[in-house]
Amino acid sequence: MIIASVANVLVWAIWVLAAFACLGTGVAVISFSNPFYSALSLIGNLASLAVMYLLLSAEFVAAAQVLVYAGAVMVMFLFVTAYLGGRVDAPWAGGPSWQAVAAIAASAALFVEVVVVIGLKTSGRLSHEHETDAAFGRPYEIGRLFLTDHLLAFEITSIVLLIAAVGGVILGSHSREAPTAGVQQ
Amino acid sequence: MPAAWICLLSPLAAALLITVAGNRISRRGAGYVATLSVAVSFAAAVVSFVALLGEEPDERYHPSTLWSWLTAGQLDFGLRIVVDPLSVFMMLVVSGVGALIVAYSIGYMDGDDEERRYFAYMALFVFSMLMLVQGGNLLILLVGWGLVGLSSYLLIGFWHERPAAIAAAKKAFVMNAIGDATMALALFLLIQRAGSLNFETVFSQADSIGGSWTMNLIALGLLGGAVAKSAQLPLHTWLPDAMEGPTPVSALIHAATMVTAGVYLIVRTAPLFEQAPRVLELSAGLGAITLILAGLIALVQTDIKRVIAYSTMSQIGYMFLAAGLGAYANAMFHLMTHAFFKALLFMAAGLVIHGLAGEQDVRRMGGLRSLMPYTFGAFTVGALALAGMPPFSGFFSKDSILAAALDHGWYGEVLWVAGMIGTFLTGLYAFRLLFLVFWGEPSPFVREHLMVGSHEHAREGHLMHDGHETHEHAGEGPFSMTATVGALTLLAAVGGFIQFAGVWTAVSDWLEPVAPPLVEATGMQELVSSVVAVLLGLAGIGVAWLLYGARTSEVPRLGWAQRLLEHKFYFDAAYDAAFYRPAVFAATAIGRFVERPLVFGSVRELSQGMRGLGLETRRLQTGLVRTYALAIAASLAVVMIVFVAVR
Amino acid sequence: MRGPDVVWYLCVAGFLFCTGALGVLIRRSPLIVLLSLELMLNGSNLALIAFSRYYAQGNGQIFALTVMAVAASEVVVGLGLIVSIARRQLDLDVDKLSTLRG
Repeated sequence: MIIASVANVLVWAIWVLAAFACLGTGVAVISFSNPFYSALSLIGNLASLAVMYLLLSAEFVAAAQVLVYAGAVMVMFLFVTAYLGGRVDAPWAGGPSWQAVAAIAASAALFVEVVVVIGLKTSGRLSHEHETDAAFGRPYEIGRLFLTDHLLAFEITSIVLLIAAVGGVILGSHSREAPTAGVQQ
Repeated sequence: MPAAWICLLSPLAAALLITVAGNRISRRGAGYVATLSVAVSFAAAVVSFVALLGEEPDERYHPSTLWSWLTAGQLDFGLRIVVDPLSVFMMLVVSGVGALIVAYSIGYMDGDDEERRYFAYMALFVFSMLMLVQGGNLLILLVGWGLVGLSSYLLIGFWHERPAAIAAAKKAFVMNAIGDATMALALFLLIQRAGSLNFETVFSQADSIGGSWTMNLIALGLLGGAVAKSAQLPLHTWLPDAMEGPTPVSALIHAATMVTAGVYLIVRTAPLFEQAPRVLELSAGLGAITLILAGLIALVQTDIKRVIAYSTMSQIGYMFLAAGLGAYANAMFHLMTHAFFKALLFMAAGLVIHGLAGEQDVRRMGGLRSLMPYTFGAFTVGALALAGMPPFSGFFSKDSILAAALDHGWYGEVLWVAGMIGTFLTGLYAFRLLFLVFWGEPSPFVREHLMVGSHEHAREGHLMHDGHETHEHAGEGPFSMTATVGALTLLAAVGGFIQFAGVWTAVSDWLEPVAPPLVEATGMQELVSSVVAVLLGLAGIGVAWLLYGARTSEVPRLGWAQRLLEHKFYFDAAYDAAFYRPAVFAATAIGRFVERPLVFGSVRELSQGMRGLGLETRRLQTGLVRTYALAIAASLAVVMIVFVAVR
Repeated sequence: MRGPDVVWYLCVAGFLFCTGALGVLIRRSPLIVLLSLELMLNGSNLALIAFSRYYAQGNGQIFALTVMAVAASEVVVGLGLIVSIARRQLDLDVDKLSTLRG
């Protein structure tokens, strides 16, 4: 019992830490004016998310998150940021003035709605967690599901990745003609 | 009867051939093709005639259907022709006179740029007319009716650079269309009551189709068509204007054949008309009024062709008079002789016009007797036949009509008097024309412009084109013209001898099985009519001599009468005011108040509205990604609310 | 192991998503916009995993992995575009890149 309650407290503590880290880094991503700092914040966000996945018994996904997302995607981001020289811009400036207000309103509305939906509609229905078996979250289970129930998704995903690779090559290749002086709006 | 089909289709084949050949056939060649085809038609008509001769009178009726053209429920109309005495009679007249006139056109239209089109149209016309007279049911007759109207329009407006010609063609077509409409209505009634349009079906049930109202309506409808096509009152104003076409067209269409189609119609549908005797009397009355009116107007006309046109109108009035009284054979006989001498008159006038390089005003002519003797002779024969002088053809046919009128009671006697007045007028205007054109000393105009022998000249009716032609002919015109005129002179002279009232009656006997006459004149009536008619004709000629030949008297100056006649009894003005002006006014009013605001306005409003809408919508396209993303986010928020609320 | 209910995870996911949306709408640099987009995707991933755990089925995790793969592809293409824009010496400012203005 004591072990169970201590474990519970531990879980809660880790959860709170991870959640706040997640939220904080999320806000940081959109707040920093230096894109380098934003990218680093996102890496932190991904890490906290991986912790939360672990809490949810999704071990494989957590590992994939760290390896793929943080390890590959964010590295790409950092490369490009380094290449571009990290131009700094004032985050809140530019565009029609009403846009900023409307943007904040829209996203606030979205958040409120999400909370309301979760709170109102699902109260009572989302409190009976199902028991998981031992294979839940294991690579074996993921692999089995990919190759049986979700084979089509698996194949299509591979095609999407192929297309992205090809697109990346094309976009990144040097154009034959000299780059134009840019059409400034 | 294959001969009848050959007769019908030969000119059509020629028309198609000339049309398809286009420039590959020479202009002269087109003329030969057309003439040959009509000659073939005539030969085929003769064959049919001979075949019929060999049969008993009761058996002379041969319908022949190519295929079933229109079927609708229980109605079945076939491409049907019939060979019987009446149709063969008309076939002979149409193809015979037609062949002569088409041959004449070879010389007359020589050098015209569009000669091929002319001959194609002429062949088309002959085909249409043959279809009309050979039609085995009223539907084919109506088809032929419409096609001759079309050919007439095409040929009147042949020289289409002349606005007068175009206007005349339109006028002819529109007035004919009125007749077509009434005829179609009559046919609708017939279809409804009788269920068929085949001659034998309809005529055998003629007395059981309907009551007097129905029969009167049907007869009136048919009469309307006949009146329009034959240029009788009140639909007569198109005929003088139709003289804008080339002279052979006037000869063929507006003298010999098309305008007589109305008479043919009445005779053919006689069983129907006999069920509506009032309408028959009406047609006789219209004919009588027309013949006097036309005769009067002809007295003041100064265009050589228009005099002859009014004469045509007048003579067809005689035929209507006869048909309206029931003297069908007399009407057809007069139709035949009229074809001869009227075509002759037109063609002789064509020789004059040709010689004077297109001049048609008789006031400038005079004294052509010595310079164009051949033409003078032909014209004289024609005029004498027209005036009904023995022994020429008109005498035999016209007098029998007048005599038959006496058999119809008091109404017939009134018509008889009208006919006699007409005879006087006929002699007067015919010989007025003759004397004005041919008698006396050659006028200055003639001395200057007359060209016989080889010469070059511009075409009749055309404005001076560059490119006058030189053509050679000995005598007063090309051989094709003089020879055909000669042939017609002969026919006009002796053609009447096939029927002499009471003594030998080939025509009446021939047509008896088809259209038995309602009136029969006695020998005494015939004699009286003939004598009075000849005397009046001579009186007319005498007066014309005094006024125009020897010029011993002056034409009486009656200002009001002169004006009345010159304005053709104000019919044109009346129709203009009653129909044309209101129509134009209504059209302009509708255009201004309805069409422009409603149709154009609404369309323009619509397009401007769309433009405005587009301009507004354009504002959404800011090109900024952020705005678009905002739109997505905002709509997402709204949609979520909706979902939450609905679920 | 107990822990927060799935509802809490969903709230975090929702907050992440909305934060990412705000970033997309507000920021002008396309690079930051892409980062915000990643944020949104991660938010939805979290929700998916949370539900997968709740219903004890692996489908949510499969979906989340697929989302990750697609997000990676999208980043590749997006960064390629940004690099091309930079190569043409255009301003890296979404407000200035409005040639599609109607």
